[in-house]
Amino acid sequence: MSIIEVNHVSKEYRLGTLTSLKDSAVNMVRRLRRQPAIQRTPFRALDDMDFSIEQGEVVGIIGNNGAGKSTLLKLLANVTTPTNGSIAVRGKVAPLIEVGAGLIADLTGRENIYLNATILGISRADIARKFDEIVSFSELEDFIDTPIKRYSSGMKIRLAFAIATSVNAEILIIDEVLAVGDLAFQRKCFERMENLIKNSGNTVLIVSHNIRQIERMCSRVLLLDQGKVAADGLPLDVADMFYRRSNEKISADHKKSLQGKVHKYSSGEIELLAVDLINDQEQITDTIPSGGTLRVRVKFQVNQALQRPEIIVGTHTTDFFYLSASSTALIENRPDLDVGIHEVDYIVPSFPLVAGTYCVRFAVFDQHQRKVFTGETLKIFTILPTSQDVLDAPMRRLYLPTQWRLDGVAHSSPTPVSTETASA
Amino acid sequence: MLNIAKNLYEYRELVAELTRKDVTIRYKQAYLGIAWAVLRPLALMLIFTLVKSFVGIESGDIPYPILTFAALMPWVFFQDATTEGIESVVKNSALVRKIYFPREIFPLTAVTTKLVEFCISAFILAGLMVWYQMVPTVYILWVPLIILYTLLVSMTLALIGAAINVSYRDVGTALPIMLSLLMYASPVIYPLQLVKDKLLVQQAAGEWSNLLYTIYTLNPLAGIIDSFQNVVLRSQLPDFSSMLPGMIMTAILLPLSYRFFKMEEPYFADVI
Repeated sequence: MSIIEVNHVSKEYRLGTLTSLKDSAVNMVRRLRRQPAIQRTPFRALDDMDFSIEQGEVVGIIGNNGAGKSTLLKLLANVTTPTNGSIAVRGKVAPLIEVGAGLIADLTGRENIYLNATILGISRADIARKFDEIVSFSELEDFIDTPIKRYSSGMKIRLAFAIATSVNAEILIIDEVLAVGDLAFQRKCFERMENLIKNSGNTVLIVSHNIRQIERMCSRVLLLDQGKVAADGLPLDVADMFYRRSNEKISADHKKSLQGKVHKYSSGEIELLAVDLINDQEQITDTIPSGGTLRVRVKFQVNQALQRPEIIVGTHTTDFFYLSASSTALIENRPDLDVGIHEVDYIVPSFPLVAGTYCVRFAVFDQHQRKVFTGETLKIFTILPTSQDVLDAPMRRLYLPTQWRLDGVAHSSPTPVSTETASA
Repeated sequence: MLNIAKNLYEYRELVAELTRKDVTIRYKQAYLGIAWAVLRPLALMLIFTLVKSFVGIESGDIPYPILTFAALMPWVFFQDATTEGIESVVKNSALVRKIYFPREIFPLTAVTTKLVEFCISAFILAGLMVWYQMVPTVYILWVPLIILYTLLVSMTLALIGAAINVSYRDVGTALPIMLSLLMYASPVIYPLQLVKDKLLVQQAAGEWSNLLYTIYTLNPLAGIIDSFQNVVLRSQLPDFSSMLPGMIMTAILLPLSYRFFKMEEPYFADVI
């Protein structure tokens, strides 16, 4: 039998403020007259969620802000009840939801340890036994009898974390508690969490935005999206999917915000028809893998013949930082452009930029350097992250193919594989 | 019923710890500390004694100051416990939103906290008894039962009030005003004997007198205050006839109030 069962659970919140006395009265009158009462639109925080967790599983829960993570934890911790569906939790739950919820500023560290631990359900005898350990872990030996309102915020967090992690329950619920304090303490916290998880054999649910920690600690990851379970599986797979979705969302946001920022100038001699990205299969696309081929196809109508014009195609970032530009000026025998429709392909065999959103610019000058056409943000495209980017937050702007010579022996670093091909 | 008791037993450490917190933070940065707890009944006693010297209230063979202090002790306990109880859930909204334990712990803790203050004012009462050379008798053993009953009356109001206060904060504001009015309908300034004489002996309201007296004693505090004075000062048994109407009412309302509280409990975290 599963230790946690979530059966088709939905949770709705009503939007807006508390009903005023007037609205309540109006609604009451309407109900008496058997007219429908004015309802506020409900907001679905969780939408028909359905899964179960077995004894001893360490489950990570990830998702964007507002995906329903905290609502789910609240339901599991019995703080609130579902609107529809049912939840069965078989065992004692220790919710470490937001470290420090129960700390009282006026009490000393010692008093807070007893109070907060009792709130978390630790018996007095247990607290007395664990007291010294809590104090030494939080490194507060000298301040334990000082009211915590005199503590620095780091000290408070250390204390809260030490108390929270001394709970011993069948089910641990951890929300956003991993990344606390300075680097050294974070490391300590992390080790303590791992010990807690590995040695206890308890069932653990972790919510975090730190996907790497989730990957390391969990045996299973749930990806939530708009109140639904979007993915449920092995940490690497789900994290990968999450990164891809986030990138898509980021580039979608970028595109939206850039839509109005197309800067175009034309003397009238040239009319732009289309700017597209073409992939290896000769299809129109708007994503390319990092290090892959960038092929921009520009289609335009020439209204007045131009003699040996100079064509420039380049890329820039979403904040208009020019990245590259290539010109046909150096081509000796570049052709004239007659009246009619022309098509120009600009090919970069290995486009070296890291994952992100970039834009295409295009310009035409006549042989006397007169501006005929310029345009920015003509096409927005996304470079997909490599699987390596998924593991490391990229500490670089460029991807360059490299060779290594280690103690005289040649090595080549593996070619980065785009997540698209990796997951295919 | 058994379940409730089991639940309370299971969470006894939490109640104790939360009570300790409430008492500590209340007086932590005050120079006079916990002495403040007894200042209010003491001040009220002095005022009433002063007023009494103008109006003249028959207090029997017991000195008026100690009689009114013995009335103020259960009254102040009841008033403070109820007021704090009603605000308890909202005051702890940080916990309500994060961690589950039975929410009745909050009003219960608020009421228990006031019990601590009640015990401190008991020292003042003892001092007054020494001053007036009154000796406690075995009847004083009734005090715990009377206070337990007062606690239940407080909980009756606190549970329903706290639940409503989560959605409508008006309750937290309105109730203290109503309670201070209730004080005049309780034998705090005057002894219950005065009401008894007027209504039961002199039949001052004609045929309505007996009914009026029953209505008066529907207020549980009427019986509580009188009985407290009886067992502490008069060396008598509690007057059960004046306690009965209030007891019946509490016995009916407390379960209803508890059920209402439990019905609303799941939504506390959403609306608080």
